[in-house]
Amino acid sequence: MTANAVEIKNVTLHFPKQRNALKMLMNLVQRKKERFTALRNVSLTVKKGEVLGIIGKNGSGKSTLLRIISGIYPADEGSCKAAGSISLLAGLGTGFSGHQTGRENAILYGSILGHSEQVMIEKLPEIIDFSELGSFINEPVRTYSSGMKARLGLAVASAIYPDILLIDEVLGVGDPQFKEKSKKRILDLVKSTGTVVLVSHSFGLMKDICDRLVFIHKGKIVGVGEPDAIIKLYYETTD
Amino acid sequence: MFDKLRRKPEYMSEVTSGPVLKDVVQKDASWKAPLTNITVLFKHRFLVRNLVQREIRGRYRNAMLGYTWTVLEPAMLASVYYFLFIMLAGNPDRMYPVWVILGVIVWGCFGKALQGTVSSLSRNGQTIHLVYFPRIIFPMTAMQGNIIISMMSCVVVLPIMIFYDLPVTIYLLYVPLSILMSGFLAIGLGMLVAPLNCVQRDIEHLFRFIVRAGFFISPVMWTYEMAQARGSIGDMVLYNPMVVPLTMARHGVAGESLGIPWVGILGSLGFGIVMWILGSYVFNRYEAGAVKHL
Repeated sequence: MTANAVEIKNVTLHFPKQRNALKMLMNLVQRKKERFTALRNVSLTVKKGEVLGIIGKNGSGKSTLLRIISGIYPADEGSCKAAGSISLLAGLGTGFSGHQTGRENAILYGSILGHSEQVMIEKLPEIIDFSELGSFINEPVRTYSSGMKARLGLAVASAIYPDILLIDEVLGVGDPQFKEKSKKRILDLVKSTGTVVLVSHSFGLMKDICDRLVFIHKGKIVGVGEPDAIIKLYYETTD
Repeated sequence: MFDKLRRKPEYMSEVTSGPVLKDVVQKDASWKAPLTNITVLFKHRFLVRNLVQREIRGRYRNAMLGYTWTVLEPAMLASVYYFLFIMLAGNPDRMYPVWVILGVIVWGCFGKALQGTVSSLSRNGQTIHLVYFPRIIFPMTAMQGNIIISMMSCVVVLPIMIFYDLPVTIYLLYVPLSILMSGFLAIGLGMLVAPLNCVQRDIEHLFRFIVRAGFFISPVMWTYEMAQARGSIGDMVLYNPMVVPLTMARHGVAGESLGIPWVGILGSLGFGIVMWILGSYVFNRYEAGAVKHL
């Protein structure tokens, strides 16, 4: 039997609804809770060595599920366990500080993502090389185009191989040439990482690389299984 | 177009070695937080160093004078208050501008550290949604950044000491100590309300007012000695925990001992420690729920 890399058991997650102070006070008095349930009793296991894809419409809870796995949101009910180091690839380059140079930001971003100082010293030349920024690496990041930022972000984020890799829609940044290169890099990462959970809307790609797909709709898991069957289910459910 | 990129996991193949399953959210009990907050800082020192650097660099971006502003800002503020004081009270003693400049620096450290820690979670929403690390690091780096900036401001003490021909004594250590203490007094309070500020940003605005009002209530434009001269008010000002660091910086430069009763010093330190414990507990307990509001 294969061990599990991630075990999610009956996870429910609510988001509070933003209300003005008066309304909040009223709710407090009336003991009423206004909230939005992003995930409802979700259970899922990911095997070690598996590439699992998550599909679903916008706002169905895909990204929230990844955030549960990476520990950003603790579940309101249920539990989430994982084996080994986790890294989430999402929103490449958020947290960059515009007035520091690309090099400084690479180190900052790396440390935010949990890379150690050792790793950053070792990998920095490779990161700079991969980002194709040339002499721009010593310029402040505010002078970068969005593509350049994304390239630097991807270069840093993909510098280490975690035990479990979570990818949230980061395929296809930059110009076509870099898009191809970044796709290759991520697929490379997927290949060398033990376990991968991938959120994407490019079904073609998912069909190619995922062993199983999960279809989430309105915070609930509707189906888990072979990619083709699940994609069919997706179109039947949402049409 | 693609081959299956990798071998199928073959649920059959034996991948049983390697790390074991653990809860993804590993948190120590909240009552341990006053201690674990310190160990966290050490464990994540590489990250902390980078975040503090971001905090400091961000302050003086695109400024020709750059870090010179750390000295210029309190010096210019002090000169404004000096003229204001002459107009209102007339003819203060010759050291008065020095007392004001030191007051502005120490109060500035407290005020900015307080505002920085209060808004530390709400400002860093993007980073919080990207990755998990102990979130106590956000208020900690906000405080550290402001302490470092205020320490740089203290350079202004050197020309002052030459101009006024003040002796260099061991008491000069009071100056950095007062900065550290005002930062410490700020962070406890900041941690206490930072989670609440995620829910309602009103807290941030309230604290901006508190910092401004506190400027007048605390001995920034006046000194502890001036209050003493007014009789019964003199002892009352000791209820303000900031009196100790503010007076400390001034006596340090003058080369005198603190001259505040022990009760006052212990009260101020005690306030800081109680706030640290309370703030750490509340922050640890509520941050996870609070970030859902970001």
